[in-house]
Amino acid sequence: MEKFDVVVIGAGPGGYPAAIRAAQTGARVAVVEKEAVGGTCLNWGCIPTKALIASAEQYWRMKHCGALGLSAADVGFDYAAMAKRKDEVVARLTGGVGQLLKANGVTALAGTASFESRNRVAVKPAGRGEKRTVETANTIIATGSVSAMPGFIPRHPRIVESRAFLDLKKLPAALIVLGGGVIGCEFACLAAQLGTRVTVVELLEDILIMLDADVRREVKRHMTASLGIEILAGAALKDIAADRDGVRGTAGDRTVQAEMMLVSVGRLPLTEGLELKRIGLETNERGFIATDEGGRTALATVYAVGDVTAGSTQLAHAATSQGIVAAENICLGGRKKTDRLVPACIFTSPEIGSVGLTEGEAGRKGRAVKVGKFAFTGLGKALASGEPEGFVKWVVDAQTDQLLGAHAVGAHATDLIAEAAAAIKAELTAEEIGRTIHCHPTFAEAWMEAAHAAHGRCIHAAPKRK
Amino acid sequence: MAQAVVLPKFGQTVEEATIVKWHKKVGDSVKKGEVLFEVETDKAVLEAESFYDGVLLKILVGENVPAPVSSVVAYVGKAGEQAPEGAPPPAPAAPPAPAAPAAEQKPAPAPAARAPLPAETGRRPAPPPSALHLPPPTPPPPTPPPPSRLLISPRARALARSCVIAPARITGSGPRGRIVRRDVEAYLEAQGYASLRVSPAARRLAAKEGVDILTVRGTGAGGRIMVHDVQRSLAERPRPLSRMRQVIARRLTESFAGTPHFYVTVSADMTDLLAYRQELKARGKSFTVTDFILEAVVMSLQEFPAVNSVCDGTTVRWYGSVDLGVAVSVENGLVVPVIRNAGDLSLEELRDRARALTAKAREGKLLPDEMTGSTFTVSNMGMLDVDDFHAIINPGEAAILAVSSTRETPVARGGKVVVRSLMRMTLSTDHRIVDGALGAAFANAVKGKLEDMELWKSLT
Repeated sequence: MEKFDVVVIGAGPGGYPAAIRAAQTGARVAVVEKEAVGGTCLNWGCIPTKALIASAEQYWRMKHCGALGLSAADVGFDYAAMAKRKDEVVARLTGGVGQLLKANGVTALAGTASFESRNRVAVKPAGRGEKRTVETANTIIATGSVSAMPGFIPRHPRIVESRAFLDLKKLPAALIVLGGGVIGCEFACLAAQLGTRVTVVELLEDILIMLDADVRREVKRHMTASLGIEILAGAALKDIAADRDGVRGTAGDRTVQAEMMLVSVGRLPLTEGLELKRIGLETNERGFIATDEGGRTALATVYAVGDVTAGSTQLAHAATSQGIVAAENICLGGRKKTDRLVPACIFTSPEIGSVGLTEGEAGRKGRAVKVGKFAFTGLGKALASGEPEGFVKWVVDAQTDQLLGAHAVGAHATDLIAEAAAAIKAELTAEEIGRTIHCHPTFAEAWMEAAHAAHGRCIHAAPKRK
Repeated sequence: MAQAVVLPKFGQTVEEATIVKWHKKVGDSVKKGEVLFEVETDKAVLEAESFYDGVLLKILVGENVPAPVSSVVAYVGKAGEQAPEGAPPPAPAAPPAPAAPAAEQKPAPAPAARAPLPAETGRRPAPPPSALHLPPPTPPPPTPPPPSRLLISPRARALARSCVIAPARITGSGPRGRIVRRDVEAYLEAQGYASLRVSPAARRLAAKEGVDILTVRGTGAGGRIMVHDVQRSLAERPRPLSRMRQVIARRLTESFAGTPHFYVTVSADMTDLLAYRQELKARGKSFTVTDFILEAVVMSLQEFPAVNSVCDGTTVRWYGSVDLGVAVSVENGLVVPVIRNAGDLSLEELRDRARALTAKAREGKLLPDEMTGSTFTVSNMGMLDVDDFHAIINPGEAAILAVSSTRETPVARGGKVVVRSLMRMTLSTDHRIVDGALGAAFANAVKGKLEDMELWKSLT
């Protein structure tokens, strides 16, 4: 029987970096993948959506380029071609990951993994392939998550979750998005930019509820006013029915109908088939695996990372960081912890970047904070670029001036957040960011101005009336 | 007209108490029966309720200041009413000096805790106050005093402040040891300050909270001092013990250091008694294991009165009754309620008394009188899953019985191995008065009673 030091189950953004890092230390490593290397992120998540969003965004700009003094006639799109380009991007990246695994000497085992014992993992290939059992000193579970499809939703080809939506070769003329979280809102914006009539139904009082109200307001303004998306928040979608003519439902006193419905009401951990019971590893009431900050489960030789873990942020980069830490803890015997500071980016239109404490959280925790905010309308670069919507803000400790959180909404917000994350991680103060010279004219200047604003010393904004 | 709120009297033995928390501020409206403040005696924290409706007009005794019982601590009256000019109560008299002139004059504090038993009442009066005096008022937290008298030049002080270090540790080279800027610089150099790496927010926090940055161990990358390191330093600052813990500390130290402890361990076979307990339960008579242990102890103490005694090194006093202390763990501490005249109680009465006192202890409602004057103590940790432990004798007593968890154990019996439920008990005795032979005899008496089914059948 083949023996490994580490077997990683799942080759997504949590699993494959863990496998590579473990191999770098000289360990014998295998990675089990039942579908495609790269996992949800590369195949059915981050990357394909961003490929489509890039096309949609460009199309939208071309349609609205008059303000920049441009004119474009016969602007159109071919969704099938867009989808093909998306598939090419995915193929190139997954091919790259496969090569990286190979170059690092990681054994790839295609199939579905299940524990036979704590140190024995069986891999059953799809189809008629022979089951293969390997022995391993340690295991990292990185099986990820799948879209939730609650029981009250009828099963019908017109009702899809994100993965099936990405396989469409043609967009519907009208779309109901059930669930106004990150995934729902990204797809809503993408479809609306390409001319689909979109209705978002959200059970909670607002879409993107984890963000501060001012950030949500800014996004919603653009989504509704510019993209024509209808948002029905604080309403459960009931009486959902789908047939040959379309999908219908009622939200409050409203009847909504469309050609298709996208269900994006959260993602559930994927542990099916792992036979965790056999090794005595329990999952919590929602099916997640509990770990400590170093990725350890209740079993000494079994680790878990990414979406499958309890308390996960369900972000690819968080899984990667967890995976690398788990691999190092196994192979180098360390007691490393994953960083709790996880920046998040949302590719709506406009984009959102967020890291650390929100104003709302600070309030709920009773923590005294100051807020420094700077609108893009005050930025030379934003006006010159014709992208004046949005703002950045710092959440700052009122006593020590420590930067605790940063939030950006508007053009390039998902790239802008990186500076803020580095500053918060390094425990800088607002004063220091304010004194850091930022290039002019750039969007990044907004961080510097917002830091000044936290002290009421903004140069490029009128002082607040007392 | 404004009504005076007085510090309640908690029993015969308490002379002063400390308000640890005011639940109302001056100007707050107060209803009859509402909790006004929490008061701590040397035994417990109790809530004091208002006897009047109105507005809290004035607080005369603030938090954490000891005050005599029955003194006026506040006034309650109508809104806007003028509180009488009340002088704050006099500071409590200094506690009696510790028995300075050796033992021939005064018995050690512990034995003095017991007064002779007046024959006519049969009830033990409260021990004389002198023996029960409160510990000295809460000592100040053991942080160094502010460097108000530190001789330091303004420039040196400013440098120290900007470096977030405490100048008190610097040796001064100026006249009369005055610290000058040069000294601070030399100190920083010697301490390797230049290589210290501190996150900006951590530096701010340390400066704000007065933490000497040189005392903080950094755990960030390359030993960089991060915010959580400063927070750890803050959390590690010494804090004064609660009054209850101070009393526990004082009494236990006194006893452990002043009494030569000696230990003897026996294992009681509880198999039959546990079975009988179930049988009783089925008959609607419910007893805990502790109840049986207490009864066995009381009976054994009556057989061996020498164990129910106290010794100060020169005298020994045999107590005339068994006043049984039962250690009860409560939040942040331990109290020992006392079952008086336990020898006169039936098993049921003993059980009911123990149950009532334990409940009161858990609720923090024990009165000081209910926690003083035990003659022997039982500490049962059976429910805490322990194999064995040794207890420290309570001041004023000669022994304490530590009861551990009952375990199924293979036992050799008649040449065969059988599984029995054994319970270890360790008797701690004051070796000055209870020798090995007596301790062994007493411990075995308790064991023998627990194993004597005829006895329990006769008692139930």
